[in-house]
Amino acid sequence: MTIAVIPAYNEVTRIGAVVRDAQKFVDTVIVVDDGSGDGTAEAALKAGAHVVRHAENCGPGAATMTGIEAARRMGAEIVVTLDADEQHDPKDIPAMTGSLTAGNADVVFANRFGGGNTIPFVRRIFNAIGNMVTLFATGMWVSDSQCGYKAFGPKAMRELQLKMSGFEFCTEIVREAAHHRWRIVQVPVKVIYSEYTLAKGQSFANGMRTAFKILLRSFLR
Amino acid sequence: MILTPYQIVVPLVSALLVFYAWSLWMRQKKTMWETMLWTVFWGLIAVISLYPSLLSYIALVTGIKSEVNAIAVISIGILFFAVFYLIIRIEEMEQRITRVVRKVALKEAGLDREERDK
Repeated sequence: MTIAVIPAYNEVTRIGAVVRDAQKFVDTVIVVDDGSGDGTAEAALKAGAHVVRHAENCGPGAATMTGIEAARRMGAEIVVTLDADEQHDPKDIPAMTGSLTAGNADVVFANRFGGGNTIPFVRRIFNAIGNMVTLFATGMWVSDSQCGYKAFGPKAMRELQLKMSGFEFCTEIVREAAHHRWRIVQVPVKVIYSEYTLAKGQSFANGMRTAFKILLRSFLR
Repeated sequence: MILTPYQIVVPLVSALLVFYAWSLWMRQKKTMWETMLWTVFWGLIAVISLYPSLLSYIALVTGIKSEVNAIAVISIGILFFAVFYLIIRIEEMEQRITRVVRKVALKEAGLDREERDK
């Protein structure tokens, strides 16, 4: 069984469409409402998703881990995580899960820079910094380490244990991959940048805080 | 070479922390990369404490030479570790709250079966 996990925070205008699109490619969709105050959970339920609600906003890392835990308990063999803001195209799900079903990989990272996407220059810089911090903290190079679009096979699902609550979780997943020696595959995907997704993205200050937390955690662990 | 108490204690503490890091690696709680970073960091601290002359160029630049300045530097070091400790505690508390929120969320979604079975 393949389950899509969508962490969502105040995405009432987008979540319904994302759930409906994802349902075409997976068996079940789980939306983790991360303490939204705008009816995100109701919209996801209406679209046919299983909804797990955080009473408080804990961050995308915590919401992703809750979703993965829920998927484990529902008997998932493969889990795909994607953003709730329509940035990721669910049509890429078959390409993401292909290596997992063939048994050639344990985790699949999407690569927004591998295709013909038009990505704003500032975003490219932020991602390059994120990749460098990830390389320093984990010793592993991933072309698009900060992308939320990922797929986990049975081994990775069993062993994954995220402790970081915020955006640092992307780096923590790379760290888990290095730690458990998962087989990694990177797949080029389509990315849709709109004014909405750009406005919801991380600010420079947020990025710096994330980088600080990653380095601190990797040092103190 | 006559060693001061400081030059004995700091390398010993550094060695202890390096040993602790490798024991965490043995128990698979740290990755090899993190253990190496930890080893390099504490190795540098130990080397600097044994051969403080290595930092003489910093002393030249900053002018940390008198005893009063040394006290100020040590105080800053103590404050640095206090802040470090507080950050760790806050991180731990944040993680505990997150764990509680996640447990409640799964329970309310009817997915706490695994916990009930344990």
